[in-house]
Amino acid sequence: MDDYPTGNLDHNAPLLVVSGLGTGATKPMLVDPDLKEHGILIRSELPPIDGREAKTILHYIQEADATNWPWNASETTKKYRFKIKTVGRELLLPPRRARLPEDYEVPPSPPVLHSPFSPLSPGSTLYPDGLIDARWIEKHQELIPSICLCFYNLTSDPSLATLHDNRLKTDINAVKHALQQSGHRCRLAVVILSDQAPGAMEPFQERLEHIRRGTGLDPKTSLFVLPTKRSEAELEAAADSVLSSVFTQATEYYRDLGRRTRKKKGRGVAPQPTIPPTSGTSHTLSLQGWNVRYDFKAAVFAEFRQDMEAAVRSYEQAYESLFGTDVLETVPSWSPRFNDGRLLADVIAVRILRCLLWTGQSTAAVRRWQAHRYKLSDFLDQRGRGTQNYGWQAWESRWAEVMARLVEKAAFPELEPSGLTLFRAPEKALSAERLQPWEMLHHPGYWYRIAARHTLDRRKLAYSIPEDDRRPPDPSAKRMTVNIYNSYDTYMCPEPYEEYPLAGQGTDHAQKALTHLNLAIGEFLKRRQKRLAVEVALESAVELERIGAWKQLLEFLTPVWRAMSFRSESWWNLTEALSWILRKAAAQSGQADLVIAIDWELMNSRYTRRPQWQYDMNRALEGVEVEETPEVSLNDDAVTSFLESSFVFKHGEGRAGQTCPAQLAITSKAFSGSAPVVLGEIHVEFEGSLRALHLKHESSPKPMNSEPRGMIVTSPSLTETNLEIDTAPDDDVEEASSSHVTVLEGHDDITIAAGQTRVFELDVPLREAGEGKATSVRVKLAPEAFTLNYTMKLREDHSTEVWYVAPAKRRVTRANPLVIKVLPRPPKMEVKFVNVLKQYYAGEPIHIEVQLLNEEDVEANTRLDVHLYGQDVPHFKAHAENGSEDLNSAGEGEEAKLDGLVIGTIEASKSAKATIIINPINRPTAYDLTIKAWYTLSTDPGTHIVQIVAFQLNIVNPFEASYDLVPRLHSEPWPSVFDHEAVRELDENDGSLSRPRGLAQKWCLITRFGSFATEDLRVVDFDLQVKGTQGGVVCSASKNQTLPEEGILMAPKTMEEARFDVVAQKLSLDDRNPSTADLEFMIRWRRTSADPASAPNATPFLLDPFYVTVAEPRVLASVYYSVASSPSSPKSSTPSTPSLSAAAPQIIILDITIENPSSHFLTFGLTMEPSDEFAFSGAKTTSLNVLPVARRTVTYRLLPVVEGGSWINPQITVRDKYFQKVLKIIPTEGMKREGENILIWVPGQGEGGDDDDDEEQERTEE
Amino acid sequence: MATAIPAIACLGVIGRNNNPLHTTILPTTTDPQTGRLAPLRTPLQFSLLLSSTLDIFESRARHAVASNTLLSGDFGLLHAVDDRLAAYGFETNTGVKFVAVVDMRGRILSGVGGKPAAGAGGGVSSPGGGVGAAGTGGAAASGTGPSSVVGAVGLRDGELKVVFRAMQTAYVRLLQNPFYDPEEGAKAGQLQQKRITSRRFAEEMRRIGDKWVPGGVNTL
Repeated sequence: MDDYPTGNLDHNAPLLVVSGLGTGATKPMLVDPDLKEHGILIRSELPPIDGREAKTILHYIQEADATNWPWNASETTKKYRFKIKTVGRELLLPPRRARLPEDYEVPPSPPVLHSPFSPLSPGSTLYPDGLIDARWIEKHQELIPSICLCFYNLTSDPSLATLHDNRLKTDINAVKHALQQSGHRCRLAVVILSDQAPGAMEPFQERLEHIRRGTGLDPKTSLFVLPTKRSEAELEAAADSVLSSVFTQATEYYRDLGRRTRKKKGRGVAPQPTIPPTSGTSHTLSLQGWNVRYDFKAAVFAEFRQDMEAAVRSYEQAYESLFGTDVLETVPSWSPRFNDGRLLADVIAVRILRCLLWTGQSTAAVRRWQAHRYKLSDFLDQRGRGTQNYGWQAWESRWAEVMARLVEKAAFPELEPSGLTLFRAPEKALSAERLQPWEMLHHPGYWYRIAARHTLDRRKLAYSIPEDDRRPPDPSAKRMTVNIYNSYDTYMCPEPYEEYPLAGQGTDHAQKALTHLNLAIGEFLKRRQKRLAVEVALESAVELERIGAWKQLLEFLTPVWRAMSFRSESWWNLTEALSWILRKAAAQSGQADLVIAIDWELMNSRYTRRPQWQYDMNRALEGVEVEETPEVSLNDDAVTSFLESSFVFKHGEGRAGQTCPAQLAITSKAFSGSAPVVLGEIHVEFEGSLRALHLKHESSPKPMNSEPRGMIVTSPSLTETNLEIDTAPDDDVEEASSSHVTVLEGHDDITIAAGQTRVFELDVPLREAGEGKATSVRVKLAPEAFTLNYTMKLREDHSTEVWYVAPAKRRVTRANPLVIKVLPRPPKMEVKFVNVLKQYYAGEPIHIEVQLLNEEDVEANTRLDVHLYGQDVPHFKAHAENGSEDLNSAGEGEEAKLDGLVIGTIEASKSAKATIIINPINRPTAYDLTIKAWYTLSTDPGTHIVQIVAFQLNIVNPFEASYDLVPRLHSEPWPSVFDHEAVRELDENDGSLSRPRGLAQKWCLITRFGSFATEDLRVVDFDLQVKGTQGGVVCSASKNQTLPEEGILMAPKTMEEARFDVVAQKLSLDDRNPSTADLEFMIRWRRTSADPASAPNATPFLLDPFYVTVAEPRVLASVYYSVASSPSSPKSSTPSTPSLSAAAPQIIILDITIENPSSHFLTFGLTMEPSDEFAFSGAKTTSLNVLPVARRTVTYRLLPVVEGGSWINPQITVRDKYFQKVLKIIPTEGMKREGENILIWVPGQGEGGDDDDDEEQERTEE
Repeated sequence: MATAIPAIACLGVIGRNNNPLHTTILPTTTDPQTGRLAPLRTPLQFSLLLSSTLDIFESRARHAVASNTLLSGDFGLLHAVDDRLAAYGFETNTGVKFVAVVDMRGRILSGVGGKPAAGAGGGVSSPGGGVGAAGTGGAAASGTGPSSVVGAVGLRDGELKVVFRAMQTAYVRLLQNPFYDPEEGAKAGQLQQKRITSRRFAEEMRRIGDKWVPGGVNTL
């Protein structure tokens, strides 16, 4: 589009000249020196307005310039469309009339002068028979404004008002007059700026009215007042409204011009030129020609008015007349007017297209575009030089590009890159028709592509120019040779000897094509048509290849090649087309890596075989200049290959320490006849617990290619080798810190011929437990010239999951044969717990011995990890047998552990021991003891083998106990309030708090404990301790029995009893609150198997608090026996039963003691019922007064009348006389209770101890 | 006076993974040298053309997902690459795509045997020939306005439905063959996707391409 003269194709908008704003230098509008000389100067005498407001307005107006607006009607926010020029106070208009040539003799009658742009004026380039040219459009678009918008200032100084206003009037009138004089019909619009606010304009109204009347301007259309004292936005809005009203004026102006043109056309006569032409053919413009000119003018004026429909009509008329009779067909094709006419046809066509696009008729536009193309080719075939020449193709290319540009400028929202559609749906009027697909307006990318295609066709035709024509013409013979070029269409393109000269640079077709292709690629990429972009890129690449721009080609195509979707989507023919071009470029510019990569890819026989091509990787770099041996790394994500690899484990499971057969198969799908590839190394990488596998080439003396298309199975042996990390930087080593990596290495002849499958059957040693997965196979190709590493991922659902058994193969049925599950090596270390006790008890330290028996064939270096899990685990320590020091456990709460107890080396079939000692636990619980024995064999120190043994530790209480606290009569008398000495003693000792002075009460704690152990335990001792008291009491406990020296041997499930005396005394006599004591009963015991010297284990029992003093009155019964005539009783040989000689009748003395710890005076009634069982002496009924804090005793003497060895039941009732409440009589030693009654034992013949089942029976007190 | 009407220049079947399954190229022009019928473009160019339609399939599918419009399968006009060739598309619900490339001047209706070759022929590289065809139409239409200049018959969007229906029928018949596995080798990431090798299928495609005429209502 740039080829056309400037302004020819542009959209026309009314020209608005803004004068008097700003003092900045402005570009002169009129530059043509000839016109300038005779130009008409319009000038105003007043100085231009300066200042901030003026600048704002000027800036805003300049912003409104529509030159770069898109060519569509969608710009609805503005009601106007202007091309805006700014001048100072001077405006130079072109002359209205051309002048006569200087050498012209003035004829007698004065000649009629015409516009300098008319074909009638001898000075014009169109004289005498041109149609119209760009200068005419330029005149209206650039030189003659439709509106001259003059800005003036209105002074607000009242003293200067009259003077200024008069000057203003004069000036406006002068400008107006000058404009009228110029002959142009430019309209004058005046804007008067005032520095007032819009509301404060009232005082100036009269002055303004005065000016208006003085100048004869219409306040609605041509005189505007603009108070500037307001915000910028308001100022802009005001300027906007001025421009809007001025635009109506401008439209009127162009309508006037259009009307004038139509009037001229209506005359129907061809005007005569100022001077009849004398030179050349003296041919003047025909009437038809004039009609073309008038129609064109009318159309342009309509376009100025933005009336596109009218413009299209006029343009179409002009177009038809142009190709109609007597216009272009009369012009010979050698005449420059012929090409001028063609240019005009193009211009009209472009303008029609634009108007159609403007009004949204995109399909009509495409049709019009086609129509012009056909019309022109038809016309050229008939009247011109035909279409089989480069000139026509140049035009075709240009014509497509013009459309692309027009579509771009029209900026259809449907064709925006963000939109979805690639083409615009047809307008409504046409949508029902059968349309050509191309008639849906496609986005510019397609048009650019067509432009490029025509450029290439142009080159094809240019290259067929015979040599004679390509020789530059002899300057001397220029005139003569003109006609020779008749057969070449040189419309807007160079002569043949310039298009494709014999020597030197002609037209750079490639560059032209590339420009269009790149534009097209840009458009396609913008719309995410990446495949189409690649297609166009391929066209570009062919072009670059042709001109040998290798570097550019590489830069351009390499990313495309890397990213192209053809490869992943199996478009092999496209892949190879692109690859071959890129390879050529890479080879030319020494890009060895690309050459190798492409050769590697193209070896695959799915591509078409290139004739005469040597498929041999070793010779890939032949003819490529390489500076140093290149090293190339590729992977199958980026580049495919002719090699396919698979890896299969034969078994899904294996054990550490064993081996698993596996097959690595590499299949070559290279072209048959291509040279076999020698792989220097094959690496198989694993994920998980397996070691990388390296297979190295080792040329074998006998050739392997005995079966060229078959399968060869070999089984190279593998050895473990340590590799320095540095030597294998690409390896995925599992730990970065280790400087060595162990790999499995094997050697074989790795030569693979085309079509061959090489199968390597390998015994993969399994070392560590876990899952191992083959992830990738990397082959290394290292001929002399280069090194190539190619990594192939092993995919899980590979179709080639087969196990090869020569000569057949069978499919592996396992789900994923790439994966092997390595089970741990079966440990051959026996871990045993020795000397395990049947039961462990709370309170004892637990010793656990572990024996490790090495059943491996070689010695094992062993260490132990001991873990104890459970609730509130105790600490433990452990040591090995061989005298290593104790290690203490760490951690508490849920888990305690002890790691790394070194056992040391255990010889084969020898054993070692370790002991774990767990601190005593005080409650029954359960723990899990886990022992991990880690060992390594001296033959394979790298592999750790683990034997895990768990042990459940149940801890139970060895004893359970129950308790009973029974009252006893405290032997000491209660303090008497009548004993003044004791009272004094109390007073004296007032300071010391150590001695309690309150009431003392005595109790007996009877503890029955049973053995819950599963074996005999020896109770060594037991003990009662007062752990604490509440309620101001002193409490002491004492054992009231002795144990045998060796203790009591308790069989399982037997009971024992222990009795303790508990004496409690209140600290203060005044304190009568009940008080409690916390007691702890402790059994010390040891196992029968334990060393008697060792410290006994202690099992404590914490008792619930007991009341040890009471505040209520109580009645205690105590009994003792008097022997009347017999010797005193033998002092209880058996402590549990009273035993008396039964010879004499005995008297039983029963004391009823009433204790009154309260502060009340209490009266009790005592009644003793007579009984058959005994006779008694004492009060049968009595009344007893008990003082506060005192006790009284009533004694009965009973003579039993029953046989000895039985119980008698005295019926005694103690009644509180005041409360009428019967008090319970509490029996003490030697008595028992039966219901409400007490029972008294009558000793028999010394066998009375038999029936002491579980009742209170006690030897008598001393 | 020859009239050019549209004819099918190429039929393509593209797999679910955008892999080419089948391409049938039909001659729609005349070789200027030998005078024989010849395809308008090279197989490579047709491959590129088919591949470029994938962009549009993708973009429309994306749009369909975004706007939640159910695709009917018939994509209609995908794009026109120039004033002669246009690609129409159809996608089955299993993601297999059928593309029909139509040469808008692929068939000459004329009583004269030799002449239409010059009219419609010329191939891509010399639009002179192409223009020649239009020229004859254009000369007659020069007075009537731009729309009739081309002279060729246009197409409505639905007119290729019969083609796609026939292609789908043929494809379904192919799938019914127990020895044809459409997914063979088409698993994730696998680069070797099988093309359709059935000769019967290829013949059927050729028959469809030959038989189709615009505006025809009969099932192909």
